[in-house]
Parts: sequence; C-alpha cells; structure tokens
Amino acid sequence: MSFSTQTPTIVVLKEGTDSSQGKGQILSNINACLAIQDTLKPTLGPFGSDILIVSSNGKTTISNDGATILKLLDIVHPAAKMLVDISRAQDAEVGDGTTSVTILAGEFLKEAKAFIEDGMSSHLIIKGLRKANELAIAKIKQLAVQITRHDNEQEFRQLLEKCATTAMSSKLISKNSTFFTKMVVDAVLSLDQEDLDEKLIGIKKVPGGGMEDSIFVDGVAFKKTFSYAGFEQQPKQFKNPKIINLNVELELKAEKENAEVRVEEVKDYQAIVDAEWQIIFNKLEAISQTGVNIVLSKLPIGDLATQYFADRNIFCAGRVSSEDMDRVIKAVGGNIQSTCSNIKSEDIGTCETFEEVQIGSERYNLFKGCPQAKTCTLVLRGGAEQVIAEVERSLHDAIMIVKRAVSHSEVVAGGGAIEMELSKYLRDYAKTVAGKQQLIISAYAKALEVIPRQLCENAGLDGIELLNKLRSCHAKGDIWYGIDFQKENVGNNMKNFIWEPSLVKINALGSATEAATLLLSVDETIRNDEDKDGGAGGRGRGAY
Amino acid sequence: MAAQQVPDLSNAIVAQDEMGRPFIIVRDQGKKQRKHGIEATKSHILAARSVASIVKTSLGPRGLDKILISQDGDITITNDGATILTQMDLDNEIAKLLVELSRSQDDEIGDGTTGVVVIAGALLDQALELIEKGIHPIKIANGFDEACKIAVQHLDSIADNIDISTESTDSNLLKAARTSLGSKIVSKAHEHFSQMAVDAVLAVADFERKDVDFELIKMEKKVGGSIDDSSLIRGVLLDKDFSHPQMPKIVKDCKIAILTCPFEPPKPKTKHKLDISTVEEFKVLQEYEQKKFQEMIDLVKASGANVVACQWGFDDEANHLLLANGLNAIRWIGGSELELLAIATNGRIVPRFEDLTPEKLGRAGSIRELEFGTTRDRMLVIEDCSNTKAVTCFIRGSNEMIAAEGIRALHDSVCVVRNLVRDSRVVYGGGAAELTASLAVSEAADKQKGIDQYAFRAFSAALDTIPMTLAENSGLDPIETLSALKAKQIIEKSSHLGVDCLGKGTNDMKELFVIDPLIGKKQQLLLATQLTRMILKINDVIISGKDEY
Repeated sequence: MSFSTQTPTIVVLKEGTDSSQGKGQILSNINACLAIQDTLKPTLGPFGSDILIVSSNGKTTISNDGATILKLLDIVHPAAKMLVDISRAQDAEVGDGTTSVTILAGEFLKEAKAFIEDGMSSHLIIKGLRKANELAIAKIKQLAVQITRHDNEQEFRQLLEKCATTAMSSKLISKNSTFFTKMVVDAVLSLDQEDLDEKLIGIKKVPGGGMEDSIFVDGVAFKKTFSYAGFEQQPKQFKNPKIINLNVELELKAEKENAEVRVEEVKDYQAIVDAEWQIIFNKLEAISQTGVNIVLSKLPIGDLATQYFADRNIFCAGRVSSEDMDRVIKAVGGNIQSTCSNIKSEDIGTCETFEEVQIGSERYNLFKGCPQAKTCTLVLRGGAEQVIAEVERSLHDAIMIVKRAVSHSEVVAGGGAIEMELSKYLRDYAKTVAGKQQLIISAYAKALEVIPRQLCENAGLDGIELLNKLRSCHAKGDIWYGIDFQKENVGNNMKNFIWEPSLVKINALGSATEAATLLLSVDETIRNDEDKDGGAGGRGRGAY
Repeated sequence: MAAQQVPDLSNAIVAQDEMGRPFIIVRDQGKKQRKHGIEATKSHILAARSVASIVKTSLGPRGLDKILISQDGDITITNDGATILTQMDLDNEIAKLLVELSRSQDDEIGDGTTGVVVIAGALLDQALELIEKGIHPIKIANGFDEACKIAVQHLDSIADNIDISTESTDSNLLKAARTSLGSKIVSKAHEHFSQMAVDAVLAVADFERKDVDFELIKMEKKVGGSIDDSSLIRGVLLDKDFSHPQMPKIVKDCKIAILTCPFEPPKPKTKHKLDISTVEEFKVLQEYEQKKFQEMIDLVKASGANVVACQWGFDDEANHLLLANGLNAIRWIGGSELELLAIATNGRIVPRFEDLTPEKLGRAGSIRELEFGTTRDRMLVIEDCSNTKAVTCFIRGSNEMIAAEGIRALHDSVCVVRNLVRDSRVVYGGGAAELTASLAVSEAADKQKGIDQYAFRAFSAALDTIPMTLAENSGLDPIETLSALKAKQIIEKSSHLGVDCLGKGTNDMKELFVIDPLIGKKQQLLLATQLTRMILKINDVIISGKDEY
C-alpha cells in the first residue's frame, strides 16, 4: 500500500529534512513502539529476566526495572521516546509498574494498528480508547478493597508487607523478600506519616557480604569522612551523646582571603601568630564549653581541631555531605549552626547511641535510637556492585509502593487478576454499544490480557491454556483469580496475598492510554537533518 | 504489506517502516551489540567458565602460581584468587562480576577467594546442562537457592567448635594459620609465618567483642634478606631515620613529643610582609629566629621529652640545636604513621610547642635504627610501647615479588585467625566440607518434587568440583579419588574425610588438622549462589559501542 495522496513536487522543506506523513507514519511509529515493548516484555513478573546493559563508557548495569532499562537504552526515535517518558512518569508518580505501563501502551497500539490498516480514522480509535480507559479506572475504584489503618494496626502492617512482597517478586531479592519487606515497611513507617518524604530514607551501599547482611538503622548512618591525624584517638562510642551540627570551618588558616598584614617590627610577628591561634582556639573553646560529645561539620575540620577534640574526648567529623547532614538534623534534632558563639541548648541534638562500626571494608558512623526519628537508613550489602545497585532499585520500587499504600490503603490483586477482571467487564460492556466503538472497546479489553499472558510466557507456563482458564473463572464471577506461580495454575490472588495498591494500576492504565492516544494522533514527523556545517540551522520550514 | 512484519528480535532494536526500510530507534544502533534469550545466558556461562578455569589450577596446597605482568611491566607472582583476578584487567562484563565476587569474599573473609570463583564457575557449568534440557533459568536459580540453604544448614550442623585460647602458643590457631599458608610461596617458612599471624592477631584482638581491628596490624616489606628474616614487631615501624647522622642509634625509655608543627619560627597564615630596610632590623630578625629556636628546644626539654617526632621538616639550624641538646628527632612523618605512633605510645598529637606538657608525651621502651646490609636505607623500630595493641609485620624477601606475595600470604592467614577469633566453629578443609555438603544436598534432592530435583543434583555435582580440582592439582586421579572419598564418607559416616593433597597417608582432615573457619565456607557458598542467580537471570545484553574518541 502506498501513500493515499501523492507527494507534491514543490520543495517546501530544506533539502535533507526527513519528513514522513499519513497513515504510513502512524504505522511506523507503532512499529517502533512495539520494538521497545519487545525488549521489555521478558522482564515482567516474578519470573522475568534481567537485562545487562553496557553503556558506551563501559559501565555495566544489570536491571529488571523498566524505567532504568529504557533510560539506559538511549532511545532516539521520537515516537519510541514517548514510551520512555511514560515509564519515567510512572516511576516518578508511583515508583513501580514501569514495565507494565510500557507493555500496556505497546499492546494498545498493537490493537489499534489493525484498525488503522483497515482505514479507520485514528480519532475514532482515540475516542474509543479513552472511553474504555474511563470505564476501566472506574471499575478498579469500585473493586478495590479498602483497608483502613485505624481499625487494626497489625493488619495494616501486614497489608503493607504483602504489597512490598509483590513489588519485589520479580527482582533479584525475591528469595530474600521476607527479610527485605520488613526492612522496607519499617523504613516507611518510621517516616513522618503526614508527608512521607522518601528522600529521608537514606540508602548506603557497601560491597561485600550476603544480601541478608544488609542492616536497617533507625536513625542515620554515613561513611567515615576524611580525617586527620588524631582522629583515631577520639572515642568512637557514646550513649546519649550531645550532638552539634556546624557549618563552620575549624581550621587554622587565613581569616580573610587576599588580606595582607604589614609587619612593622619583628616583635609584632609573634603577636599576629598568637592572634590567629586565638581565633581558632576561641571557636574550639566555645564548642567544648557547650559540653557536646559529637561535633559534625559540613566544612572541613582541620588537624588542629581534631587533636583538640581528641584531647577532650569529643568525636568529630568534617566534610559531612549536606544530604547526610540534613538527615542527621532530622533525626537527632537541633539546628545547623553557622557560628560557634551563642550556641543554645535547644540547638543541640541527641540520640540513644552513637558508634563507629566496621561494615565490610568501610567504616560507618551510626546514630541510633533518635528521639525525633523521621528518618532511617538502609545499609545494603551484596556480592558485587551491580548486585547492590539492583537491590537498591528494587527496594526503591518497594518503598514507593509501601508509601503509596500508606497514603491510599486500597489494594487490588496482582498476578494478572485485576487485568482479567477489567477485560471481562469491558467485553461485556462493549456488547451494549453499537458502532465502531464496540470494536475498539473490545480491543482494549483484549490488550489488557497481555499482562497475564506475558507473565505465563516468562515463567515458561502454557499461556494460552491458563488464559482460557482465567477467562472462564472470571466469567463465573471469581474476580480475584490470577496466575499462581507456585501451583503453575490459576488461583485466588487476593487470598494468596499478591496485592498491589490500586493507585499503581490506575496510574499505569491512565498513562498507557494517554501515550497510545498521543501516538495515534501524530501523523507527520518533520525532522531536520543535522547541520553538518554547524551553522545556524533554522527550523527547517524556512523558504529556501 | 511490509508493515505487517514483526520487528526482528535477534538484532538490536530494529524496526521497519512500511517500505521495509529499517529505521533507527536507538542511538548508535549500528554499534550496539545485542544478545538475546538462551544464547545470551550461554555465552555468559562460557565467559564465567573460562575465568574459573584460569584460577582453578591455583586451588589447594599443590596449586600453582600465576605470573601477571601489568601494562607498565610490573610483575606480580601470586596464587591468591582475588589478586589474580583483579590484576587480569578483564573486559567481559560477566568476568568482571566474578572479579567482584572474589573481591567481596576477600573483603569479608580474606581467604577462600579462589574457591568461591571455582564454585561459581561449577554452578554455572551445571546450569548450562539444565538449560539445554529446557529448564527455565530462573527455576534453576530458585532450585540452587534452596539447595544452598540445605548445604549451609548441613555445614552448620557438622561444624566443630574448637578451643581458642588467648595464648600465642595455641596450637589450634597455629594449625589453622598453617593450613591457609599451605599453598603459598612462603610455605617453607610456614612455621614462622603462622606464628607471626597468630601473634599479630592475638596482640590486637578484643576477645570480649570478638573483634580484631585490622588498622592496628601494619604490613611493611623490604627487599633483601630471606623470607625467614621476616619478623613481627610489637610496636611501630617507620620508614624514616633520625634527622641527624650523629644522633645515637638507639634510645631507651623514650618519651616522645609528637608534633604537627614545623621546627621553624611560627608564621601567620594570613599573607604578610616585613620590610627590612636597615642592617639593625635584619639583626633583630636573626636574633628573633635564634631566640625562637631556643625557646622551642626549651619547651621540649621542659616537658621531659627525649625524642621529637615531627610531621614536618626542620631547619638545619634547629637540627643542630636538637643534637646539641641531646634530643633525638624524626622528621617528615606521614599523618597516618604519626597517628599510629601516637596510638601505640599513648601520646597526644600536639599542634604547637606551647601546648607541650609531660602528660601529652608518648612512651616507648626503645627506639632503634635498623640498617640493611650495605644499602643506606634505614628504618626506625619503636618497641615496648605503652599501648601494645599495635603491631607491624615486617616482611623480607629476596625480591620485590616474593616480599609482596609474602604480605598477601600473611594477610590471608591473619584473616583466618581473625575469623576463628570471631567465630570458633570450623569445618574441615581438603574438600571435606564440600563433599559432605554435596552428599547432604543430593540426599535432599530425592525428596524434592518437580524441577528442583534437577537443580539440587546439579548443585551437589558442582560442589564436587572442589575436591576434584584439589585432587587434580595434587596429581591424583580426580574421579577415582572423589568416588573413593564419597563412599568412605558415607560408610564411615564421617564428615572430615578430604583429599590427601600432600600425601600424608590419611584422609582424615581432623587428624591432619586441616581446618577452615565455618563463616568462610558459608560465605563462599552464599556468594557463589547469589552470583549464579544474577547471571542466570540475564537474558538480554545490550552493549554500546565504545566511543571513538
């Protein structure tokens, strides 16, 4: 089939500008998206595999996270980039389901492709998809099971753990999920329940050890900072220490840059030296007067100060990164001080225990049992750097899910159950509409089945057989039936505790539909040829 | 119509438009390589296998050394798995994972770095066969995980608790240290080295917390002399000499002033300028300097110190004055060494002369200068420090490579001793632990339902690789040895039968006292299984072309 209209021979665009339009363009855009979808398909679900990506600078990443993979693929095709964007949006919005959103968008397009080829107007398809999406989202909201936290704290915690387990099931850590879910739920529950800022969950990576050697610190941990001679003589353990956080440089140095002192007489020399020493000693004196045990500073703490503190049994750490510092303040209380004078008792923080411990080959400062703990730290271990990086990504997903579940405690069953139920609902609905919309809504319903089908395929199960079983279960009204990987059959996933926050699904369907409709409405791409001379390129529509 | 065509899966992400022309989706598509599906998994396994086969021959007491030449022509001779792999500069991603694996074993346990790579290689080898049978890679990985749990449980149950005492003549610790030295180049001096390792660890160990701070054990090497001349110094060794050649070579009952300020007239840090216009002013300046030096010396004297250790240098004039006043001095000591000196002598680091007080001085029994043959190198040995918790292992060797390998060997055995201090449970070496774990897993295999059964058997076969390799490296018939041992272990119901690598005439490793710390063995299995899972899980590889500039 060729273009329906003949290309005009009048040259409007600059030579070299690549332009394609019409139905062909839509189809080729769809093809590009399908190619991306194909790359991601094997990573879905608990038996999804990983992808190893080596970037051009030789960095190796092994991942199963849709958003990470798409980011690293370095996609340039304009239509395919759209898929990258929706997965990134899903990552930012809910943090999980990045693979499924891409797969769904691809599947919607695949279904739409057949209609486009048959000559249906893309606007009709868009209308149909939007309608179906609306219905699906309304149905999820109606089906979702609400669990209120005030009723039963214990039950609520269990709910969170289930959600975290489901989010981890496809990742490298699925075998250790009982260990990690506890960690993740603890982490999220330790946050301020009002705003749940996940940035306050610090994640530190220390290569070596098994994954289960990872530790959860109900407070802050950060790596030992650069230290000067004398540091080793400082005490490394405190109970209920007083902690002061500074933004002051404690070093013997010129007070003002570019200043010059003119020494008139030799005897003045000593006076100036003494004056300089006095400045720093005054600062140190002021700090030790407050009776603190731990001095932290964002700026360097020099050797003189280190030894001064060592003499007075005070622990100090300079050049603490501002991220860690913020978290320390959140945990121990107090304020950051930009001067050493006038320190009041309310500016000083405290915690239950402080100690410096050896973790693998690195040393960490741990602040535990903080009174205002609205923050916590996960110290991750693993055999190789790539392992830890993947653990971190998986935990991030799980943390986001738990966080969502805390704010919206509505869940649906995973493992393809909710998709099958929506599919059935839409099919039934489609029969009640007349006209082309019927076709499109049933296509949408069919597209939803891709999730359970792909789950089966990745696990090496017979997709067609299980899908048929699922269809019949749902027709009988067993709404929570999905794939059960343990029995390699279908099962009630609500009872099996394969739960996902409904928000993840709502968001995934919404953005997948949006991306698909956007792609369908594009029928022309004009791409400027790269300007080889490096001169002014213009927008390509200039009259040459 | 061409658009019906499904995008090609085997190639990098290539799609075609309706005219059948491929178009570009991913940047630099042509330069990217992609491997997909089972092919990818297989090629990873082959890469891992070839790495494992390199280090395989280094396993065990009869293992051979490798010579590694770096890009700058530096030569390293070693049979330490972690060192070999790190220096090989591998390019393949999977191979790099194995390097990290052995490195993390090194960081955590410090020994068994070769074994962990051999086990991982064997597991992957076994997985390859199962994949060819058509088993899903992730199911294999899950099975391996379960099998690994059983193996670790079994090791826990058979582990023996050995008695560790705090005495340096403790025979158990010595024997364990000796086992780890067995395969190293220093094995002819292993009595000496194992004693050194045990002494070093016991000197710094904290038995209550069961912790050993490695920062307190320093390793120094010096080319020359024989490996037997290596010694353990209970104190600090500084690669420095006294600042003046006429200072006495040995000082007893030292009181050390540890300074971080230079022996110079103090200078303000702010930029300053002193105009000298007349001769008188110049004289005043000179007198001032003289006076300052004398003041400094007086302050040091007043504090009662007889040795000055300084982070910075000093003027010739100051040097002369120090000699004249009978003070021994050391200059240009690095920050970390200064700190070590301060810890060892219980001294305080003093930032300026005015702050010197008798309490801040460090104390040591003696400081002496070591001379080496005809070379002009000198080193300072500070012994009998008030804090005995700092030791230095001083390794000698006829050339750079032997001395370096000596350090690595000693490090390994220090790690073994440390692990025993931490956890005194042991399993038996010579492949005995692997064999009994293998038997336990294969027994459990028959009780498994479904596909796990295959994975269990494969896991048990992979564990057999260790005794087999040991036998092979020792010149024994691997299969014969393995089957004989397996039968013997089952008949005698003894978990301490292993390969008799050195031809001692018995297989009872308990009798030969070839032991390995339990935590080391467990870590090996866990790390290897974890890595196998990771590699099996990858089914798609995308490699970007290298940047051309």
